[in-house]
Amino acid sequence: MNDSSWSIFVVLLVLASFIVVGLRQKSRESQEYGFGGRYTGRIGGGAAIASNWMSAASLMGLAGIIYLQGYQGLAYVIGWTGGYVLLLVLLASQIRRFGKFTAPEFVGERYGSQAARAIAAAISIAISIIYCVAQFKGIGLIFSFMFGIDYQQGVTYGALAVVSYLVISGMLGVPRNQQLQYLVISVSFIVPLMWLARKLGYFWLLPQFGYGRALTDLSRQFNIDFTLPFAGGSLYQWCALCFTLMVGTAGLPHVLSRFYTVPNVRDARWSVVWGLFFIALIYWSAPAFSVFGRLLEARSGLIPDPAAARAAADVIALKTAVWAGLPGWLVGVLAAGALSAAFFTVAGLLMTGAASISHDIYYSMVNRSASETARMQVAKGGTLVLAAIVLLLALDPPGLIAEITAVAFALAGNTIFPLFLLGIWWGRANRYGAIAGMLTGIVCTAIAPLCGGIFPQLALLFPVTSSALLGAPLVIAVMIAVSLLTPAPPEEMGHFLEKEVHGHLD
Amino acid sequence: MSQPEKSYQVNLLRPKKGHMRDEVLIILAILFGWGVCTFGFQLLVYLCQGTGAGSLLTRLTLFNLPLHFWFTGQFLPLWFIVLCVVFNLYVDRITEYHSRRRDKSYE
Repeated sequence: MNDSSWSIFVVLLVLASFIVVGLRQKSRESQEYGFGGRYTGRIGGGAAIASNWMSAASLMGLAGIIYLQGYQGLAYVIGWTGGYVLLLVLLASQIRRFGKFTAPEFVGERYGSQAARAIAAAISIAISIIYCVAQFKGIGLIFSFMFGIDYQQGVTYGALAVVSYLVISGMLGVPRNQQLQYLVISVSFIVPLMWLARKLGYFWLLPQFGYGRALTDLSRQFNIDFTLPFAGGSLYQWCALCFTLMVGTAGLPHVLSRFYTVPNVRDARWSVVWGLFFIALIYWSAPAFSVFGRLLEARSGLIPDPAAARAAADVIALKTAVWAGLPGWLVGVLAAGALSAAFFTVAGLLMTGAASISHDIYYSMVNRSASETARMQVAKGGTLVLAAIVLLLALDPPGLIAEITAVAFALAGNTIFPLFLLGIWWGRANRYGAIAGMLTGIVCTAIAPLCGGIFPQLALLFPVTSSALLGAPLVIAVMIAVSLLTPAPPEEMGHFLEKEVHGHLD
Repeated sequence: MSQPEKSYQVNLLRPKKGHMRDEVLIILAILFGWGVCTFGFQLLVYLCQGTGAGSLLTRLTLFNLPLHFWFTGQFLPLWFIVLCVVFNLYVDRITEYHSRRRDKSYE
């Protein structure tokens, strides 16, 4: 077998084994499954948080953006880990006590408004679509890499594969084993990296530290300074991006809903810590791929021009593995890990997006007397419609995987995060404030692509990937002002917040 | 035991006495540590550029990584984990304390 057929074989093996293992578990202990899987303690809960989080952005996009931008790209590492601090200290236990886990449900309940709920649902669906476009780009790139076809074909076949995977596992009723997913994804990312470090002659047992030497070699032998701070962007851009990703993490709908699976608040809190640790394991490793990639390029004497580097960035981990002459099956393992991460993320997002269409929009707004079957059909149709929209957008992706994902984070940070923050921590916030806040947040996110040409100053202040540094505080201010100018929310909600969410120990 | 004030409205900046006040204190402390190390350090790197302290930050190495790169790329994620652990330990403690005060078994 040649290298690429090895890759295809490994990828198929991994995806099929998830279905088989899932089915075996299901038949063994079908009654124990709750909403999102079996309860496996704090560490298991953490692995579930991490596997839910890992996507093409973590496994492909991160290495790519650091490969291109060096120190500037570290804003992604910090933004995507630091967000969990915000989530843990400000929202995790309170949301858990509030008892509503999806953004539209929380908004509908807390602000008591169907309109606010519908806007929140539309925003969540938009976030899912943007996030999925980035995943589809990753899937398309891996498919074109494995089969040697062009990107458009790759993304089309990839979309077909994801939808068939969804349909098959849906029909068989395969439960998601997120602990196993995390294990497979992290091993398939870190073992090739160790191999790579060993092959290049660096400290391979902990390549997360071993790449330091490669960095030194890069600057001594080839005069490439990878680490220069603020070389590729300003301090404002760095901080705006980092802050946006942080508030986006704390407001991302599919991250918030993780607090379902753990039976009590205390375990929910501790599983966040484990989740953050498992995520950091990957994020400590990603820069190593970028550095090794740069080094191999420099050694071969081929320094790509910026356009070529940008085109190669998102598959830099795979390319590095091939350049270094890693065995074909190991390249396949690396591809399989990234591909399964993208697959599971897409599956989760499309299903929650479709559930939101069916429940928050169709059932709550259009047809209150819809039967269970009708709602199921809307959800199934919704999945396909969403997948089709995502595919259309992904055929001509607007940026790098990490950049596309960052736009989804900006939207979440500008809309969902302020709504949760004030909804939990300020009893006076009311429905008018919520609606005005969400609309302001949408404007803040969309202002750079829409009006950037006319008002370049605005595009500098609200960059498309990083609009929340100014956006989120602005939305909070608008929410406070509008809430104070309009009647207070119903007494019962204030009472509920005081007694249940913040007064459980009085 | 404590007489709930009828007029209390939930507000992060004016927490009510008891568990909520303790919780808000630790939240603000953690957010301070989070913000200073993340954004404060970047500001420091930026302000020190071109000065002696700046070249110290970029020339000194740890695990062969320049100090600023190591701090941002490797230490900060670790620091976030430490912050979360401290937060959880502290909240476990105040939860236990206030539950005992309420004479109710731990959740």
